[in-house]
Amino acid sequence: MDSHEPAPPAASNAVGRLGSEYALSAAYDEMFDRDLQPRPHYRTLARLLQSLTPDEFRRRKTMTDLSMRRDGVGFTVYRAEEGIERVWPMDPVPRIIPAHEWQQIEIGLTQRITALNLFLDDIYHDQKILKDRILDPQLIYGGAYFRREFVGAKVPKRIYIHVCGTDLIRDADGNYLVLEDNGRTPSGVSYMLQNRQVLKRVFPLVFQQYNVRSTDDYPAALLDVLKYIASGFSADPTAVLLSPGMFNSAYFEHSFLAQRMGIELVEGRDLVVDQNRVFMRTTRGLQKVDTIYRRIDDDFLDPLTFRSDSMLGVPGLVNAYRAGNVALANSIGTGIADDKGIYPFVPDMIRYYLKQDPILPNVETFRPEIPAQLDHVLANIDKLVVKKVNESGGYGMLVGPASTKEQQDTFRDLLRACPRDYIAQPTIQLSTHPTFVDGRLEGRHVDLRPFVLTGEKTVIVPGSLTRVALPKGSLVVNSSQGGGSKDTWVLATDE
Amino acid sequence: MLSRVADAMYWMSRYLERAEHVARLLDVSFHTELDLHGVLSGPLKLQWNALLAILQVDVIPEPEESLQQAISRRLTFEMEIPTSIMMCVNRSRNNARSVRGSIASEMWRELNKLYWQLSDPDFRQQVLTSPHDLYQTVQVGSQLFQGICDATMSHDESWQFIQLGKYLERADKTLRILDVKSQLLSRLTSPTELPLANLQWGSVLMSCSAYESYRRLYISRVEHERVIEFLLMNPELPHSVRFCLERAADALVEISGKPLERNDSPAARRLGRIISGLRYRDIDDLIESGLHDVLATAMAGVSQLSSSIQQQYSLH
Repeated sequence: MDSHEPAPPAASNAVGRLGSEYALSAAYDEMFDRDLQPRPHYRTLARLLQSLTPDEFRRRKTMTDLSMRRDGVGFTVYRAEEGIERVWPMDPVPRIIPAHEWQQIEIGLTQRITALNLFLDDIYHDQKILKDRILDPQLIYGGAYFRREFVGAKVPKRIYIHVCGTDLIRDADGNYLVLEDNGRTPSGVSYMLQNRQVLKRVFPLVFQQYNVRSTDDYPAALLDVLKYIASGFSADPTAVLLSPGMFNSAYFEHSFLAQRMGIELVEGRDLVVDQNRVFMRTTRGLQKVDTIYRRIDDDFLDPLTFRSDSMLGVPGLVNAYRAGNVALANSIGTGIADDKGIYPFVPDMIRYYLKQDPILPNVETFRPEIPAQLDHVLANIDKLVVKKVNESGGYGMLVGPASTKEQQDTFRDLLRACPRDYIAQPTIQLSTHPTFVDGRLEGRHVDLRPFVLTGEKTVIVPGSLTRVALPKGSLVVNSSQGGGSKDTWVLATDE
Repeated sequence: MLSRVADAMYWMSRYLERAEHVARLLDVSFHTELDLHGVLSGPLKLQWNALLAILQVDVIPEPEESLQQAISRRLTFEMEIPTSIMMCVNRSRNNARSVRGSIASEMWRELNKLYWQLSDPDFRQQVLTSPHDLYQTVQVGSQLFQGICDATMSHDESWQFIQLGKYLERADKTLRILDVKSQLLSRLTSPTELPLANLQWGSVLMSCSAYESYRRLYISRVEHERVIEFLLMNPELPHSVRFCLERAADALVEISGKPLERNDSPAARRLGRIISGLRYRDIDDLIESGLHDVLATAMAGVSQLSSSIQQQYSLH
């Protein structure tokens, strides 16, 4: 395909051509070491990138964009009949994770999800962790995502979080740290799958030279989980995916997953509860539903139990769930486990429930509700990241080094007024990864979101969503804040 | 299948078929107009007004533009006009999006491609310079979509709803074209008007993608009674009213699981009645008993069928 290309010139450093002025920052770079030599698992990719001219690379980037747009891989950012659809930009330079690193991530995440599920089972039943004073009950009862009305409810197979998207970042030494657990309705897995399809079209030859593990099994593994949790009351469970509808920003993902699993994508108005059983309205009458992969938040799930003004949910669904006639993934009230106020205690949970040391460490976290830590946070606010406990998506946060004096003062006032609502963390640079920007390669910050499935056992499909902050120097990777994504290759080998 | 999904399948298909017809009508009108300039002099308002009557819309030109310019601009792109091509493609795509999980991904990709093409400002400029390319893109886009649908989707209940949408829309359009044009052209009877009539009836055939088939079947000058017979009663022409309604009946039989004669819903009975009229009467008989009445009854039947299908299968 590239035979018309002149042979690459002997590069003065290993980066060459596209990345001839590639600059390292203080952050860990995924591809290059401190001497600008590609790390062993990136050598083949670096060689290929050197051989491409900027024009050739631009052509492939255009192919990528066109592919994404044609497939309608996008999210809606505005509600109108026309809708404003944005395609989530995919950077064509893949991120590569060697086998030994993935293995550590895999056992670390399995340990973590096991502890989180034990924690949820405990907190909604015996509350031993409170009685043993490992956690302050205030943290639980004051948490916005704790569902008091759900205490004591029986949950199928005692699993609460079936699908978890945990965000990992790397510090300056390349250590993986857990930034947050997303245990409510995490999204992004469709991009993990779709990016692979696109990358295989754009760079078939590079792909061939690596032993990249397949991510194809994710929908089947998710369906296994959905069927497993209903196996206690149904021999051949009917599964559906419950979506808020096509104006939801993650609608593409909902339809994508429903299609790949071969199950119906339903909206609240398609379901009806009769005598604590859930049915869907079909052209041939009502059909029973046994297990629901719901992509609607707790608040909107059932207007009879939660927000009565919600039109998205299904009246009576929660009672059907309590009665044990339907399974939900994820369960109700899991948000308390990924509450940023609870996050600092996850390592303690791992020690408490599993009697093990945490394999994947947390990011150091300050809790302003403790007076000494509040003082530290107020004094160092220009160096810290301050996050609101009950927010996500990059909203309600202050990135100290990138903020103005006024913003810092606003946050100081907020912290003094409601210390319980915030946490603060040192500004970790996140690792950088070569990314195609304006015709050449530049380092951009990335994170890593693997998807952890828990049913009969915990399964982590070897792949992840890598989000990349496209604006230069930005540390915010969220799609709503100008982020893009990369295909992520987990290798079967170390090189 | 979910009732909501059935409803979306039906409208996805029906709106795209409508976009195709609007594009073809505009395309044919343009080219007929170019020919008519050689036969007639003066503005060709009649021609454009007929198009508006067929599509049941009203377009008032801005002070500085001609009726033709106003029609092509508004019926191609304007979102306020419910039958504009852009609106129909957009609605079709929205329905497709709401059932993306239930249609073949190739179908979605084709429809999405068409949508983005029509949204591209450079491409839109074409309507001023070479409208034919743009209208062709829409027609071919719709045909590709239906072709991919036939070749990739299981011909199950979902597929039957797609057929219903497509054929009811097509039957409706053929009926309206015939109704408006036959009234308009019935006055062209004198021998001096023959070339004009020939041209006009030719354009009617083209508006229904039937020109070449007609030529093959009747090796003679285009004659209006034959055109009417062909477009109304021919059992093999994909755009004839009879063909469309028979296919719609097939779909209804599959969906309801009952033969048409055993299906006693008002819609099925009405459909059966129209189809028998087209099968067992002859064209002289129809024209004698008043073509307009026959066409009006058929149009009412098609629209009643459409609403009762929705009542029956879409319970929300």
